[in-house]
Amino acid sequence: MADPRRFRLRVRYRKAGRLAMLSHLEITHALERIVRRSGLPFALSEGFSPHMKMAFGPALPVGVGGEQEVFDVLLTSYVAPDRAFGALVEAAPEGLAPVQAAYVEPSAPAASVAFSDSTYEVVLDSPLACLRVPDEVTVTRKGKEKSLITADFLVGEPQLDGCGFTFALRARETGSMRADAFADACLAASAPAGTVLPRIVSFTRSALA
Amino acid sequence: MARSDIWSQVAPLLREVERPGRYAGSEWGAVRPSREGFAFCMVYPDTYELGQANQAVRILVNRVNAQDDMAAERAYLPGADMADAMRAAGVPLFSLENTTPLSEFDVVGITLPHELCATNVLEVLDLAGIPVTAEDRAEDDPVVIGGGPCAFNPEPYARAFDAILIGEGEESVPEVLAAVREGRTAGLSRRDILEALTQVEGVYVPLLQDPAADARISIRKRVFSGFSDADAWEPMVVPFVECVHDRLNVEVLRGCSRGCRFCQAGMIYRPVRERSAEAIISAVERGIHETGYEEVSLTSLSTTDHSQIADILGALNARFADTGVRVSIPSQRLDSFGVQMADAVAGQKRGGLTFAPEAGSQRLRDVINKNVTEEDLMAAVDAAMEAGWQRVKLYFMIGLPTETDEDVAEIGRLASDAFARMREATPPEARGRLKMTVAVAVFVPKAHTPFQWEGQIPAEEARRRVGIIRDAVRFRAVRVDYHEPKTSFLEAVMSRGGREVSLLVEEAWKRGARFDAWTEHFSEEAWVDAARAVGVDMDALAHEAHPVDAPLPWDHVDAGVSKRFLMKERERAFAGALTEDCTFGACTACGICESAHSGIIVQEERGSHG
Repeated sequence: MADPRRFRLRVRYRKAGRLAMLSHLEITHALERIVRRSGLPFALSEGFSPHMKMAFGPALPVGVGGEQEVFDVLLTSYVAPDRAFGALVEAAPEGLAPVQAAYVEPSAPAASVAFSDSTYEVVLDSPLACLRVPDEVTVTRKGKEKSLITADFLVGEPQLDGCGFTFALRARETGSMRADAFADACLAASAPAGTVLPRIVSFTRSALA
Repeated sequence: MARSDIWSQVAPLLREVERPGRYAGSEWGAVRPSREGFAFCMVYPDTYELGQANQAVRILVNRVNAQDDMAAERAYLPGADMADAMRAAGVPLFSLENTTPLSEFDVVGITLPHELCATNVLEVLDLAGIPVTAEDRAEDDPVVIGGGPCAFNPEPYARAFDAILIGEGEESVPEVLAAVREGRTAGLSRRDILEALTQVEGVYVPLLQDPAADARISIRKRVFSGFSDADAWEPMVVPFVECVHDRLNVEVLRGCSRGCRFCQAGMIYRPVRERSAEAIISAVERGIHETGYEEVSLTSLSTTDHSQIADILGALNARFADTGVRVSIPSQRLDSFGVQMADAVAGQKRGGLTFAPEAGSQRLRDVINKNVTEEDLMAAVDAAMEAGWQRVKLYFMIGLPTETDEDVAEIGRLASDAFARMREATPPEARGRLKMTVAVAVFVPKAHTPFQWEGQIPAEEARRRVGIIRDAVRFRAVRVDYHEPKTSFLEAVMSRGGREVSLLVEEAWKRGARFDAWTEHFSEEAWVDAARAVGVDMDALAHEAHPVDAPLPWDHVDAGVSKRFLMKERERAFAGALTEDCTFGACTACGICESAHSGIIVQEERGSHG
């Protein structure tokens, strides 16, 4: 058998509509089933319980969609990228539709480590007068509260645009800041005291680089 | 007028609840019909994770969608957090495909998969804004129908349903829907529509039919005569959220006539009907291709009894050898052939192997017609060790008719002997990895079985007998687990009660009972208080024997197996006489072949596989 690392297909896909409600684990299972249905010659690991050789881009929280999500799958033989793309589109539900498929070099970093910068778009149900970014964001990890310094993760300045805002976060080797925690903290810091916080209507990672 | 889509009201709630993916629908394989025309919503009365793989929901949605101008959607009971959020926000229970409120469907169908979902039925209706009793429903409310295994004693559900369908629904559900549509089109009143439903075979309309007042009422169960020839590939929904039985399920045969005297499924799903090896293999190939699943289970009550099972497993293993697809069978027959078949599908993975001797002594196994011997169990254990298993689980029941303390102690003795056998077959340095679980459940007497007249032992007595088993176990690596007797008690009440239990269920639900099958939600207090309020003696219903010559609350349901046969089997039980499986030997005159619209269908002669 040819070295399966030679055919690493990198697929960009959307996580959209109602399927934004899925968790990262649910998405990875769904992607594996898409590949199985597509009929592509996927590679399996050795061992007692063989599994598909895949790698996934950074996780999205439940409730956050994505326009440019990414996964890698290793193939045991070459399939022309447009044909592979077509097979995946056929096998995918609308909310997880592939938008692009191309081979990457075997030596390139895997999807799980190759992407650190995420750009997010938040749409609100009512306008926000101004956007205040807190210096620290408190998150709960494994039941413990922890404060993260915003400046360690934020790239550039968040942009307010009427009923919504955009921002970019960079993942560090030591960890990352959850986009939903950051957005909630910004909303809490921005709404005048005693007023009802605007509700998030949609939350999307528009770019992943 | 088009039915509504309330997604915009549902979506904001999803940010605050656990696993919101289960309310989002849009799964692979789900059919999203138009929101116009006649529509049916099929409901599983528990959460999505538990109900998604349910065969009744899967088959009946497909069947209805295949009819001209009929649409079917699915709904499940939301988790407690979502149900509370929906009530607070005034959002009614909705279908998954089009987020349409259940109250806008023409017919709502609720399956009754086990005895502990009765309060959930009322919770479903109430969340949907549909009156929880048939008598309170208005002209425009949906017609609410029920069915499934628990419908074989329909009385505890009688007040909730407009119609209860007895037996297999492949044909009767479309017939009922057609009758409702015809009645609606003709402008008939709700009462006249229900009157028309009494004319459909297998349909019981409790509001218009009272068996206590009219002994002539007899509802004959429906049998889907086309089962064997129908396509074995039943299109299915592939969930995103992790669910029970999350795999490709292919139904390989229906019915089982081994004749275990406590087993309701073995009586009510007769006659045995096998699908052909060719049809099954083709269904698995198409199913794997269309779903993307990595596991297929060949489901039935007794898959290893299929006359072509060895050929089927051989062919599937060869076909899927290099794809990582696993084949599984739901339970093993308790003999070396059963282990061979388990071995054939296990691949390199060796989890636990499960056997169900049901009773500890040969005497009691003969009483219940569990046609296995201690030698069969030891041979199965030897074969399991040889094939590389290290964990064995044994299922037993306590409280079976005629059981003595000696029979109970025999459970611990038999399990210990089997474990000693496992040790002998294992080199000393590897014995530390051997494990055995003894799972003990309290016998629940069920309608339409030879033990339908018997009472259940009380919970304290069940705990005492579990103590006898623990004392008789000789190894620390043998763990004794037992199923909570309080819920087994409720199962007995639901299995044996009459129409008065329908009132009890309502009262218990009003006092907060829901999700009774979930230990963390089960409220004994709600049931006890409700029983007092409506004057139902639950202890008597569960524990007292019914006289054999007195009428039973479910006599108006004709399950095909005759009452005369059940009485004869009861006598044979007490005499310790075995009755053979007619698919392997002679006819036992149970009555099903004269009653059903189908006889026994096997693909080849069923033999003893050595």
